Amino acid sequence: MARIEIESDVTGTVWKIEVEEGASVTEGQTLIILESMKMEIPVLASDDGKVAEIMVDEEEPVSEGQVVVVLDA
Amino acid sequence: MAWEKDLEQLHRRRELAEAQGGETNVGRQHAAGRLTVRERIDRLIDPGSFQEIGKTTGAAEYSETGQLTGLMPAPYVAGLAKVDGRPIVVGGEDFTVRGGTTARLDRRKGGQGGFSEDLAHEYRIPLVNLIDGAGGSVTSAKRRGHAVFPGVDSFDRSVDLMGEVPVVGAVLGSAAGGPAGRAILSHFSVMVKDTSQVFAAGPAVVKRSLGQDLTKEELGGPAVAVDQGGTIDNVVDSEDECVEMIRRYLSYMPQNVWELPPRSTTGDPLDRCEEALKDIIPEERRRPYDMRKLIELVFDEGSPFEIQPRFGKGLITCLARLDGYVVGVVANNPMVYGGAMDVGESLKQCHFVELCDTFHIPLIFLVDVPGFMVGLQAESRGVLRAGMRAVYVASQATVPVITLVVRKCYGMAGMATCQQRGVNIKLAWPSAEWGSLPVEGGVAVAYRREIEAANDPRAKEAELEEELRIYASPFRTAEAFGVEDILDPRETRPYLARYVEAMQPKLATTLGPKARFGVRP
Repeated sequence: MARIEIESDVTGTVWKIEVEEGASVTEGQTLIILESMKMEIPVLASDDGKVAEIMVDEEEPVSEGQVVVVLDA
Repeated sequence: MAWEKDLEQLHRRRELAEAQGGETNVGRQHAAGRLTVRERIDRLIDPGSFQEIGKTTGAAEYSETGQLTGLMPAPYVAGLAKVDGRPIVVGGEDFTVRGGTTARLDRRKGGQGGFSEDLAHEYRIPLVNLIDGAGGSVTSAKRRGHAVFPGVDSFDRSVDLMGEVPVVGAVLGSAAGGPAGRAILSHFSVMVKDTSQVFAAGPAVVKRSLGQDLTKEELGGPAVAVDQGGTIDNVVDSEDECVEMIRRYLSYMPQNVWELPPRSTTGDPLDRCEEALKDIIPEERRRPYDMRKLIELVFDEGSPFEIQPRFGKGLITCLARLDGYVVGVVANNPMVYGGAMDVGESLKQCHFVELCDTFHIPLIFLVDVPGFMVGLQAESRGVLRAGMRAVYVASQATVPVITLVVRKCYGMAGMATCQQRGVNIKLAWPSAEWGSLPVEGGVAVAYRREIEAANDPRAKEAELEEELRIYASPFRTAEAFGVEDILDPRETRPYLARYVEAMQPKLATTLGPKARFGVRP
């Protein structure tokens, strides 16, 4: 099992968290939706796996490159 | 039998060259997870196609009677080879011989100003540099008795080649100094995860200069050189993937700027009109979508080859085929800051547009750009200057350009997606919108007093936005022939292919090097 850190590509704020810790996810699934430049930017699962940790809360600001979710895959 | 001894000696010398820097050093190279330069060349090229040049160079040892007792080959291996049946020049430092440092030869074999560059220049064939050397050393001054002025091994030829033949630089070890510079003076560069690093100067020099204590990987691994700096274009997981990627890159390239890129059909039907294109753009304007998916739906199956996928991520640049013809695709990526153009995106676009223009590869822009990146950080990076450079470079391109607006096309960043001369064909999907700046924000600025004076300023702003949005309809602009056509997204593939086919005579009759005048902003 590999620990995969999912980073945000953009600076913005967390709008919605779409998954819960422990949930099984598939590659390409939306984990979190951020708001940035007036757009809803999804953070997608890079692999199939389980959500090990969600590192942010809704409304929280995030910066580019920040790890927002950790997957076990 | 005549010449038997001499022929025997020749073959003996060749055998010694094959031994490279000796078993111990070859073992060390392998233990570091790297291949030797000879193994790299073998994997890159068509089997058996290597015809080495200068295999007999090196430092020989003789007995008192003048008999050859040993030969340490020169630390550079080069020659003619073939990739997909087409001649290329390939060369690389042999790290197992004195760490691939410069040899004292009458004529350089490779690197800047070397024989391999002369060959690529004179015969007009692509050059692949397999870089695994650390460059100059202060010890050479002691050897020569004087310090060498920078430029004795001139980059002139390397610079000339950039306008003549495809040049690929693969960083396959820790590259600093001249070899690192040589990697960047290329049309396409690639490095290998974990086993290669590239920097202006390595950890020891950095420690001494700035007191920063960094590993080679921290200073010049792909996380810095590819993702942050954009110094090197692409990163791969292994040396095998690296040679595969070089072969793939070359498959889109002509042999030189005097020839057209090779057409090769993939069997993908030209009338493939994907239903998925119809609703790939969400009606909800705040929602982004997968631009890479859009590209796949339009261009020949399996043909898109992305350059610099990890840098300037608000923009996607890829070589691709349409009806077998090579095209360059520049597409904004709405997933990253809505596709806004920041400094990285501009650098990436400028390089790619010049690459395609130089090699007579027509450009297709898939436009969804809200403008230049806004904000203090972007302004501090000089986004306006970088962005205007993209406008300048697009305007200088003389290769045919097709502009297809799939969603937003705003402001000066929008201008950087068009060729504002010649045919200047601008197409749009019904989802397109354009203008000087988006209605949101634009209204707040232009109607500030009116909005402030209103009883309900927010309602007033929304009302004005709604009113102006009507004019943003692409059909209104199309009525005035301000865009030349509006497409059903599903017909994009055959529609674009007709233009790419029709422009072939223009491409075939305007071959050769391109002079670019003026001063880039």
